[in-house]
Amino acid sequence: MPELYLRLLDRVLTPILFIVALFLFLRGHNAPGGGFIAGLVAAAAFMLQILSRGDDYVREHFGRYLHPLTGIGLLCAATAALIGLSHGSFFTSVWITFHIGALEIEQGTPALFDLGVMLVVISVVTSFLLGLSKRDEDPGL
Amino acid sequence: MQSSSILLLSIFSLIVVSPLFWLVRPHRFRHFGWIAAIPPALITGWLFSQMGAIAEGRPVTVAIDWVPQFGLQLSFMLDGLALLFGLIIAGIGTAVALYTGYYFEHNPRQGYFYSLLFLFMASMLGIVWSDNLLTLFIFWEGTSITSYLLIAFNDEDPNAVAGGRRAFIMTAAGGLAMLFGMIILGSNAGTYSISGILQTPNLAATPYFSAAVGLILLGAFTKSAQFPFHFWLPGAMAAPTPASAYLHSATMVKAGVYLLARMHPALSDSPIWFWTLLIVGGITMLLGAITALRYYDMKAILAYATVSQLGVLVFLLAFSSEYAYIAVVVGILAHALYKGPLFLVAGIIDHATGTRDLRRLSGMLSAMPLLGVTAALALISMAGIPPLFGFLAKETLLESAFHYMEHNGALGWGLILAAVVVGLFFVGIALTLLWEIFLRKPADVHGTAPVQHAPSLSFMLGPAALVTAGTAIPFALPWMSHNVFGPAASSIGGEALEAHLALWHGFTPVFLTSLAAIALGALVFALRERIRAALTSLPRNLTGVFIFDKVIYGIYDLAKLSTRIVQGGTLASQASVVMLAAVAVLGVTLYRTNWATDLPIDWTNLASISEIILALLAAIAAYVTVIARTRLNAIISIGVVGITVTLFYVFFSAPDLALTQLLVDALTVVLLVLVFYRIPPANLPPITTFTRLRNLIVSLGAGALGVFLVLYSIGEPFSPRIADYFLLNSSGAAHGANIVNVILVDFRGFDTMGEITVLAIAAVGGYALLRSIRLRSQPINLRPEPDEPAEKE
Repeated sequence: MPELYLRLLDRVLTPILFIVALFLFLRGHNAPGGGFIAGLVAAAAFMLQILSRGDDYVREHFGRYLHPLTGIGLLCAATAALIGLSHGSFFTSVWITFHIGALEIEQGTPALFDLGVMLVVISVVTSFLLGLSKRDEDPGL
Repeated sequence: MQSSSILLLSIFSLIVVSPLFWLVRPHRFRHFGWIAAIPPALITGWLFSQMGAIAEGRPVTVAIDWVPQFGLQLSFMLDGLALLFGLIIAGIGTAVALYTGYYFEHNPRQGYFYSLLFLFMASMLGIVWSDNLLTLFIFWEGTSITSYLLIAFNDEDPNAVAGGRRAFIMTAAGGLAMLFGMIILGSNAGTYSISGILQTPNLAATPYFSAAVGLILLGAFTKSAQFPFHFWLPGAMAAPTPASAYLHSATMVKAGVYLLARMHPALSDSPIWFWTLLIVGGITMLLGAITALRYYDMKAILAYATVSQLGVLVFLLAFSSEYAYIAVVVGILAHALYKGPLFLVAGIIDHATGTRDLRRLSGMLSAMPLLGVTAALALISMAGIPPLFGFLAKETLLESAFHYMEHNGALGWGLILAAVVVGLFFVGIALTLLWEIFLRKPADVHGTAPVQHAPSLSFMLGPAALVTAGTAIPFALPWMSHNVFGPAASSIGGEALEAHLALWHGFTPVFLTSLAAIALGALVFALRERIRAALTSLPRNLTGVFIFDKVIYGIYDLAKLSTRIVQGGTLASQASVVMLAAVAVLGVTLYRTNWATDLPIDWTNLASISEIILALLAAIAAYVTVIARTRLNAIISIGVVGITVTLFYVFFSAPDLALTQLLVDALTVVLLVLVFYRIPPANLPPITTFTRLRNLIVSLGAGALGVFLVLYSIGEPFSPRIADYFLLNSSGAAHGANIVNVILVDFRGFDTMGEITVLAIAAVGGYALLRSIRLRSQPINLRPEPDEPAEKE
């Protein structure tokens, strides 16, 4: 059921949603946002794609990445936790400060963990949306 | 390189080699067996080189901390007993590795089999070399899992799958019981190190000692197929023959015997030890020996004979005498060196003729002379006819019984009688196999199976080498006694022992009894058809398999019944069950709360005007949802409820929650639309009065629960220390100003980890569920057809 006006809207909205997701993810540690919310926003972008271009389009282009993405997300989270193991115990957060010129960037394992959360949320929600929007040829189901 | 590092290296190299053998796809090479035999052969060679030092009482030890918090240490010790078992595992492993290449010639799954075989070998070596109870347990479970995978190797054969499952449930359940026993033992002794526990004085006086012994015995009995758990072993014969020969005859089933022998110095003080081992071992050895003749499948006969031999070993371990220790050690090695090759021979015969059925086999000695001689020597050893190795095993068994008889007359005579009965049935079984498969003329057998595919020399080399070793040992007794039997028996006894074995002791009562058993065994052979008929007429309901299946399928049926009650019918009825359960459980706690004193609620300043308006809005939207005529209206109005809740969060300045709620609400509405789109519109049956009544009760209950929970949470103040801790450490220690997110990813990171794991599992489950709708035309059948495994009658 690709809708014309939605397809027009989708060209504008999808990039915006992804940028908002990235923005929410990056600022999450200090202001409202974070991996979970960012993941939901990104999933909303996929939802928009499903509504505008149809689930087959999305499944064809992204379907095969969803399950691996869940795994990668869990792997990121587990890695973040395991890095802590080398610095004391499981889940101990480790922070590193980068200096790029005058810019000082501080990153740590919680960010990696948050990335894992985001990836899991995106892939799980999108795969549910895709699974439920699938229509079978068999009308009895 | 140091001996201790080679010890570790042996186990880890086998683990590393395991996937490699899968990856190289060995079925493409005709003689891959020779390459596969290299790792176990190297280990065998190294073990021989360590013999001298161990015989002088200098065991090889190594210890590495693994998880020190749990007392888990990777510590290994190679003493006399570990050396004996190591030699059996690596030595027979060499023969089996060579054999497998030819058994699975051109089979694409050969590599998979090799990788399981080597994983098993590593686990088995880990069991017998571990000097830590917890490490031992991990390797123990490793053998259970690899054994399961090997039994169910032919995964399209329902017998193999059912046999594997039975074996796994039995051994894994026993293993868990054993773990409990080990934990009791370890915490009482203050160490999980085996050598430490064996040296702990007065262990028998510690609390729950008998319980610990009982649980460990349970683990050993299930693993070593003792009565009443013996039935899994014959079922395991659905495994490919190399696995049967290696796991289910020579090594894994002896893990229980090993554990009993290893823990003998510490646990034999327990009052339950002697009688339990004596009775269980005694029943097992008689049961196995007598019922073996019921079957016509060569592997089934050998399996029951193995059960019997395991019973003998457990029986012997009941005693605390030097004679018994020697008898155990000799019995273990003799059995490995005749039963292992016999299984391998059964595989070669199966490979060559296409059957293992005694009724169709004949004349194999003239058809395959080398194989015939190999099998004949093994069978004569099994019968215990001098001067073969099996004769020594029987002599030492009888000697222990005679020795016990000198202490305790009446019981001693009973034990001698039991040993003789087992011995004469072994003679009968061995003669039956020898005559029916190898000696009788093909012309005498109706529908005999000819040799269609003659085995290559390398195929027969493995069993032949093992039998040669077994035949040679009685002629090298002083050397073997000093280097192998003596040190191993010392480990069981917990003190230095010297083994004095000889083939010829003169006409002692033991020798005469042994001869009498051989003569009576010939009688069993002569009467074998009658014995078979008598055994076949026994009722089937008494078999362990029958009872086990009844129990397991009973559990399945119970699960089905409870699922039907709790999760049957419509979504509304399932939701009612869940909600009513919540109301019932939480309601009790809420009812018991003394609201006036425990939870002082300030009723005066409860809600502002804006909050009341929001609440009314939510209530109206909820009401509209219920009375809406079309689904779309209902979905939209339920969305309104969600948005109102979001506004609540905004009012109470919780931006993270508000954002999440808003997004979840939006996604849910779309999901609902997608779901309802799939359901045909006219599918709703009229609502009955019962359903209306149920809905009313559930709604009122759930609503009341919600109200009281909110009141409860208002009244109960949060511990301020937690909030203060978060506020204090969030920007400092955790580098984040957004406390909510810092809690999620850092303070409570473990929780979040669990949550996203659950989310991922839910996604996989949902995926499977949505797919299975399309597969529903094929019902899932958990229950295979009724069968009697490993029996072709």
